[in-house]
Amino acid sequence: MKTIPLEAYLIVSIVLFGLGVFGMIVRRNLVTVLMSMELALNAVNVLFVGADSHLSLVDGQIFALFIIALAAAEAAVGLGIIIAIFRLRKVDSTDEITDMRG
Amino acid sequence: MEVLVLLSPLIAFLLIAFFGSRMGDMASAILCVLGGAFSFIFSLFATFKALQQPFSIKLYDFLPLDSYTLSLGLYFDHLSSITASVVTFVATLIFIYSIGYMSNLFGQWTFKFYAYLSLFLFAMLLIVLSDNLLGIFFGWEGVGLASYLLIGYFHTQKKAANASLEAFVLNRIGDWFFLFGIVASFYLFNSLSILDIFSKLSQVDKTLLGLACLLLFGGAVGKSGQLPLHTWLPNAMAGPTPVSALLHAATMVAAGVYMVARLYPMFESAPESLKVVALVGGLTALFAALAATSHTDIKKIIAFSTMSQLGLMFLALGLGDRVSAMFHLTTHAFFKALLFLSAGSVIHAFHHHVHDIYETGGLKRYMPATYGSFLVGALALAGIFPLSGFWSKDMILSTAYGVSFFWGVWVSVVSFLTAYYSFREGFVMFHGREHFREYFEEEPHESPSVMVVPMMVLGIMAVFAGFFEGWYAGLLGEHKELHLNIALLSVVVGLSGILLAYLVFVRGLIDPQKAYEALKPLHTTFKEQFFTERLYHKVLAGGYMFYSKLLYSVAERQLIDGVVNGTYSLARAAGGIFKTLQAGKLNLYALFLSFGFFVLLLISLFWR
Amino acid sequence: MIQWLVFFLFSGIAVLSALGVVFLPNPIYVILALLSVLVSVAGLFFIAGAELVGAIQLLIYAVAVTVFYVFVLTAVPWEKAIKKDPFYRVEGLISFPLVLALYVEMVLVFLIGVSVSPKGQFRELITKFGNTEVVGAILFSKYFLAFELVSLVLLIGMIGAVIIGRKEAQTYEDHSS
Repeated sequence: MKTIPLEAYLIVSIVLFGLGVFGMIVRRNLVTVLMSMELALNAVNVLFVGADSHLSLVDGQIFALFIIALAAAEAAVGLGIIIAIFRLRKVDSTDEITDMRG
Repeated sequence: MEVLVLLSPLIAFLLIAFFGSRMGDMASAILCVLGGAFSFIFSLFATFKALQQPFSIKLYDFLPLDSYTLSLGLYFDHLSSITASVVTFVATLIFIYSIGYMSNLFGQWTFKFYAYLSLFLFAMLLIVLSDNLLGIFFGWEGVGLASYLLIGYFHTQKKAANASLEAFVLNRIGDWFFLFGIVASFYLFNSLSILDIFSKLSQVDKTLLGLACLLLFGGAVGKSGQLPLHTWLPNAMAGPTPVSALLHAATMVAAGVYMVARLYPMFESAPESLKVVALVGGLTALFAALAATSHTDIKKIIAFSTMSQLGLMFLALGLGDRVSAMFHLTTHAFFKALLFLSAGSVIHAFHHHVHDIYETGGLKRYMPATYGSFLVGALALAGIFPLSGFWSKDMILSTAYGVSFFWGVWVSVVSFLTAYYSFREGFVMFHGREHFREYFEEEPHESPSVMVVPMMVLGIMAVFAGFFEGWYAGLLGEHKELHLNIALLSVVVGLSGILLAYLVFVRGLIDPQKAYEALKPLHTTFKEQFFTERLYHKVLAGGYMFYSKLLYSVAERQLIDGVVNGTYSLARAAGGIFKTLQAGKLNLYALFLSFGFFVLLLISLFWR
Repeated sequence: MIQWLVFFLFSGIAVLSALGVVFLPNPIYVILALLSVLVSVAGLFFIAGAELVGAIQLLIYAVAVTVFYVFVLTAVPWEKAIKKDPFYRVEGLISFPLVLALYVEMVLVFLIGVSVSPKGQFRELITKFGNTEVVGAILFSKYFLAFELVSLVLLIGMIGAVIIGRKEAQTYEDHSS
């Protein structure tokens, strides 16, 4: 059985990652920024798993598992923060929480 | 045993300095007097020993160098031991006198005063007795320090504080010369010991030796208040009167003359330097005498008189006569201390409120003992036979006439002026109208005996010290016979000066006020010391202040502060620019993050 | 051949849905697009032979995490967000060339990396025991410490999320009074 070459996974991963980064930059809503981040994380997962099938390893899959776990934690904490911010400030877009500006 | 000459004032100083606050002021004063008295007794003892055979004492080696060890030692010969005796004698009497003079200040930390006095005496004895130049320099600096402390003793008065600073600064200039003179001597002789230097005198280059001598003489100029560095001496009168007496009679100013006399073989080997010494001394003598004729401050007149007499001593040294210079220094110590103590007695009678001779007058009736002492001192200063001043001044006069007619006339003029101004002061203070009634309500009273007795003793010495002329000259060198015509001339000159003062200030032959009106520019010129003081204060010190202020306002305020403040505004402006990048927006941070990632990848691509 | 077809299908859906995630204005549509991305990525995992990861991706990501987002969107008024412009257009314009350059760079880096990477050693093991067993064996032997740490991180994240999201959360105003 001929497997899909690594380069194909690479292309998909890079496209997804770039879109994730672009989304993080241009999105105004906090929740959508967080979702763009999930996109980037998934791109990394694709790369790990693709490299695994290319190299006949399983370490990448384990890392992908870890990333999924961390993404879950990150989503939990990040969404908790968003809810807290919203409760305190009644805002949900990034240009309204600029207290840390110099 | 002989070390105690040096150590007893030091021990007194240390005891007073450490325990003075507990002992009390009276005990400190007595301790100070005891230190001086013991020092005098031991120095008499040492003198008797030194007259048989000069001897030296090694005290302490403190810095061994390659070829020479810096050490502290004493050398007793005729000159140093006799000078030490005179210094300690006069100083002890002044210490006793100061108990009476300072009595109204007891209880106000006056023990400090006695500690400084003891330190002063110790430093002076170190100069007198040290066997090497470095020891002399230690004493030199110690004298400068003690004089600074004592002149500024009434440090709450701005005048005294300024005077002490001025004395310190001008002495510092002199000390700078002296230090370089020592360095030059060490370079030349590879030794600092006076005896070593004298034995190697013929082996060194005469030009360099002359330079070293001139540098050393520069130190003497600063210490003795000679012409370029003289302004501190009259201003030093802001200190208490015993300090002035000590400063002028026994210690500070005598140090310069003594140092030149001590190192006289060096100067003799470089005759060119002696010409400078003579010129400076002669100029100062006339200059200070002229200034003394126009001043009205009780103590400043005597201060200028000291400058003038020191100038005469330097003149005598410069003309090659060490004996008469040192003898004049000795007799001068007696009668100048006497004059100062009498002046202090007058000031004390007015509770330190009166300092102008025209605010006193007619004191003969109230203070006979002080009048007598002052009269003896003034007569001795004027050089009237047979008081001590006559003998020493006569020696200088004969030397001057021996060298050239010009210098003889010069010294005669100075002597005439000396007689005039000293008796002007005496006549105005003790005869005439009682001006003090306008300023002062109480009757002036004679000083207590603790002040009068030292004056009496000094008066006796001022009368009789002259008779030791032959003995003293024989000890130090050749003895010159008195020339009758020169002696006569000297007495006539002195008497005519006294006569002039008598006619003007007692008889009122010339109204001083009218003379003052007529000669006002001349009077002002003399009183301002030919404007040297004003020159120093306004042009040198003022110019220095001006440039300091200029530099402060331009370099400091604009340049340095400008750079510092510029850093601030630069940082502020840069922060203003960069803070727009850090707008607090999450998305911008993500942008920068990705930009950083971009750069890192770029590096990893091209850095393989 | 069928593999390629399936791969292109899933990757095409993933990229299209990712475009939707980035460019759709309505957060609800964004969540749906994200869900589509996650499902298609899970499909890519299956094609690559990583059944376990694919399954977990579907279970955890596509179900649990997405539900998180839905909950949060109900807590914050997303209707207000639609009224505003959902994008920073200036920053987008600035960062677009940067992102393109990033693409090029990453492709270059990965191509270089592929050419030097080693070939596999576990092929026999995987074919013998099946992927899931091998992953489990290595996860609980070689990566056991990391596994435990991740469980710790999850615990901390959970506690943190609860504390942050609590209604009685102490605020600065409370401290200052």
